[in-house]
Amino acid sequence: MFEIVVFFFFAVVAVAFALMVVLHRNPVVGAISLVVSFFSLAVMYVLLDAPFMAALQVIIYAGAIMVLFLFVIMLLNLQHEPEPLNRPIQRFLGYFAGSAFGLTLVYYVVKAGVTVPRAEVPFLSDAHTIGVRMFEAYIFPFEMVSILLLAAIVGALMLTQREVVRRDERLADLEQEKPR
Amino acid sequence: MAFDPTDVALTIVKIALVLAITLSITPVMVWVERRGSALIQDRPGPNRVGPLGLLQSLADALKFILKEDFVPAQAHRWLYTLAPTFGLLPAVTTVAVIPFGRPFVIPELTLFGRTWFEGGRLFEPIIADVEIGILLIFALASLAVYGLAMAGWASNNKFSLFGAIRASAQMISYELALALAAIGVLMSAGSLRLTDVVWRQTGNFVLFGVEWLKIPAWNVFPMVIGFIVFIVAAFAETNRLPFDFAEAEAELVAGYHTEYSSMKFAMFFMAEYMAMGTISALTVTLFFGGWDIPWWSEPATFAGFLLSALAFLVKVSLLLFVFVWVRWTLPRLKYDYLMRIGWKVFLPMAFVNILIVAILIAMGWI
Amino acid sequence: MIPATWFLALSAILFAIGVIGVLTRRNGITIFMSIELMVNAVNLTFITYAREWSSTHGLIFVFFIMAIAAAEAAVGLAIFIALFRHRETIDVDEANLMHW
Repeated sequence: MFEIVVFFFFAVVAVAFALMVVLHRNPVVGAISLVVSFFSLAVMYVLLDAPFMAALQVIIYAGAIMVLFLFVIMLLNLQHEPEPLNRPIQRFLGYFAGSAFGLTLVYYVVKAGVTVPRAEVPFLSDAHTIGVRMFEAYIFPFEMVSILLLAAIVGALMLTQREVVRRDERLADLEQEKPR
Repeated sequence: MAFDPTDVALTIVKIALVLAITLSITPVMVWVERRGSALIQDRPGPNRVGPLGLLQSLADALKFILKEDFVPAQAHRWLYTLAPTFGLLPAVTTVAVIPFGRPFVIPELTLFGRTWFEGGRLFEPIIADVEIGILLIFALASLAVYGLAMAGWASNNKFSLFGAIRASAQMISYELALALAAIGVLMSAGSLRLTDVVWRQTGNFVLFGVEWLKIPAWNVFPMVIGFIVFIVAAFAETNRLPFDFAEAEAELVAGYHTEYSSMKFAMFFMAEYMAMGTISALTVTLFFGGWDIPWWSEPATFAGFLLSALAFLVKVSLLLFVFVWVRWTLPRLKYDYLMRIGWKVFLPMAFVNILIVAILIAMGWI
Repeated sequence: MIPATWFLALSAILFAIGVIGVLTRRNGITIFMSIELMVNAVNLTFITYAREWSSTHGLIFVFFIMAIAAAEAAVGLAIFIALFRHRETIDVDEANLMHW
């Protein structure tokens, strides 16, 4: 009973704040709403007997990725230009298609969601089991993901670097009093 | 899910106790900070309000309540008001997973001819003994960045924004070092629960199967590098000198809380001291044996619990005094130097610590 | 015990809201946030099925999805910053240099 109340409360919070992300015109409010939505999803993971994944969700998504989003939004100072809206026909088609897609998806998922019955073995979701599985069966993807993260770091640095002028060129220009 | 009413009642008692102590850290620390800084700087400090200036915190609280509470022009009203809450949230919720005393068996309580309580129940002095203990602390502590960022952005003030961005960047950089330094401890304990971490540190230090010199088996002794990284990262996380770019009095007016006054500023103020208290409690739990009294194994009785809780409070207080001491002794470094050592010195040191602990565990020495 | 279909329905609703966000908004960062919402809806589905069939493989998949989404967010935001430097706007309709 208690679980059902918690589920409904946090499901409503998750959906409401997701709608705020999509519908509010200020991106900072959208980012904070997304953080709240992620937090409610973490509660859902706890209800699904996976507290380790819930902690990971808050640490990675709400604690790191959304901070990155917030930094970019604040640094680009985006709140002063009100975002122009799309043409009404595009917005209407977007809402209509999205809602139709959503309703169809919900209907079919509920109707034919779980076909294979529940397994009778207990669900182990603690850090030890995941760690063992990760280092035994999934060791190769684990190492590949670390290389992928390295590639992402280098890529992000390369994309945002301003044009780097060599020091001797700049000194030579200064000596000739060339305006830069 | 059936709820046992006695369990619920005991949990409420624990919550009330822990909350009372956490909320009262702020007034005590305000007094300690001001008298302590006066002691270090060879001046009297507050001595007008009450004996030894003990009522200074009360005067400060009264001042905060009576000041005008405003919202600056063209500031984002909702986020401006919400930001102090985000700052307070991690500080208040992370104490729920820190054990503060030895588990004991509740004795039978018979008063006035009626048995109020049947004995034999084990009382765990920790509000929520979840199996992911320390991950919860990291998860909630990473939400503290939002309070800072929102306060700086919503104030509609360039100084606040700069202070907030600098402080947020510093906090997320040192969060990594904090988590990695704690991993050494978790490796040695073999579990994420903080109760297991504390139980692992009871008793004396055993090297090669022999007890040498009766040193208590606290984690600070084998993992000195990890402890240094952790305590430096703890200073960076709580925005205390030498890492206080969030405030940076001489540079940025008052940083991210320039535009705050009255109770909202008081909430930031409280949040900072409570975060200090929580991180000190965490450091004591991870590295200094938590509630363990050295050279004595406490019995599982109420007296044993009280003494272990007292030992925990003493250790946390000593660490809080170290926080105050460092603040008024060390200068503030340059910001780029700070970020550089955060990524290039402390993060590799944390990795080296993990390597050393792994070698020690593999050799069977821990 | 909450039936799995409730979680799946919630996941479908969040996915659809993400789709609406991508189709309707012009702000690049909001579109990116809607994509993250869709990824999280999929994470919820994975964990629901992992609990249904008591399989740790679902959890490990979610672990990898989170790591890859972090990498994707970093690179995507770097692209947005580079775009903003050139065009002074984050409006995705303005990034139309391919048809001069």
